[in-house]
Amino acid sequence: MTRADWVIVISAVALLPFLYALYWGNAAPGDRVLVLVNGKQVLAASLATDTEFTVDGPLGTSHIKVHGGQVRFTDSPCANKLCVHTGWLQHGGEFAACLPNRVSLVVSGLNNRYDTINF
Amino acid sequence: MQLTLQTTREDHRIAWLAALAITIHIAESALPSPIPGIKPGLANIVTIIVLMQFGWTTAVWVALLRVVVGSLLVGTFLTPTFMLSLGGAVASLAVLGIASRLPGRGVGPVGYCVLAAMTHIAAQFWIAYWLFIPHDALFHLLPVLMTAAVIAGLVTGVIARAVLDRLSDTDYGRHPAAAAAD
Repeated sequence: MTRADWVIVISAVALLPFLYALYWGNAAPGDRVLVLVNGKQVLAASLATDTEFTVDGPLGTSHIKVHGGQVRFTDSPCANKLCVHTGWLQHGGEFAACLPNRVSLVVSGLNNRYDTINF
Repeated sequence: MQLTLQTTREDHRIAWLAALAITIHIAESALPSPIPGIKPGLANIVTIIVLMQFGWTTAVWVALLRVVVGSLLVGTFLTPTFMLSLGGAVASLAVLGIASRLPGRGVGPVGYCVLAAMTHIAAQFWIAYWLFIPHDALFHLLPVLMTAAVIAGLVTGVIARAVLDRLSDTDYGRHPAAAAAD
C-alpha cells in the first residue's frame, strides 16, 4: 500500500457516510406549493410565508391557506369536500386534489415522499 | 490474393490477456447477484494487473476488447447493459490513465481497483440516469451502489495485489514503470 493507495481508500470510505446523509436523509419538508387547475400550473407559492389565496375552477372558487410551512384547502365549491378533508400538506410530493373543481395542490421539495401515485 | 497480417509480440500479448479477461467476464455473468446491478467486477482485476505490468495503452486495449467481445458472447451487444459496461470501462480507463501518471511512488493495486470500481459505478449511474431512468428517485440507490463499489474495489485490489506478488517472483514481462514504482 503506497501513500496514494491510503489516500484513495480513506477518501473513498469517508465519502460513503456523506452520500448516505445526502440521499437517505429524512424526507425534507417541502418548500413550495404548486397550484394546478385542469392540470396546468396557475401559481406557485413559498411555504415559508403564511398566506391565503383563492383559485377559480370550472365549479367556482377554491380557497387555499398556507400556514407554518403547511398548506391546505380551506373551502371548495365541490360536494364532497375531499380536498378540504385531505388536511394539511407539508412534505415534498404530498398533494391534495379537488376533481370536481379541477384544482390540485402539490408540495414540491428536494426529497419527495412519493415518486408517483396512481388511482 | 493472399493477405498477410503482421502481428507483433504486443498484439499476441493483448489477445491473450483480453481472452483471460473475457473468460472471467463471462464466468462472472453466470454468477447470481444478490442485488441486480451489483457485481464484483472480477474482470477488472485483469485490467489493473495489465495496467501495472504492461502500461496504460495495453490496459485500454484489453478492457475495451473485453467489453465488446464479452458482450457479443453473453448476448448483450448494443443493449443497455452494453452501454453501461462500455461507459463504465471508458470512464475508469480515463481515471486510471490519470492516476498512473501521478508522480512519486504512484498508486498500488488496491488504490487502482478502488478508483476503477467507483468510477465504473459513477459513470454507469450517470448513464442510467441520463439515458434510461431520468428520475430523481434513482439517487436513493447511489449510496448503496457506492458502498458496493468500495467493497468490490478493496476485494479485487487485494486479489490483484496477490497476483502481482506471484508475478513479481517470476518477473515475466515486467513494465519498466511498474518496476521503477516498486
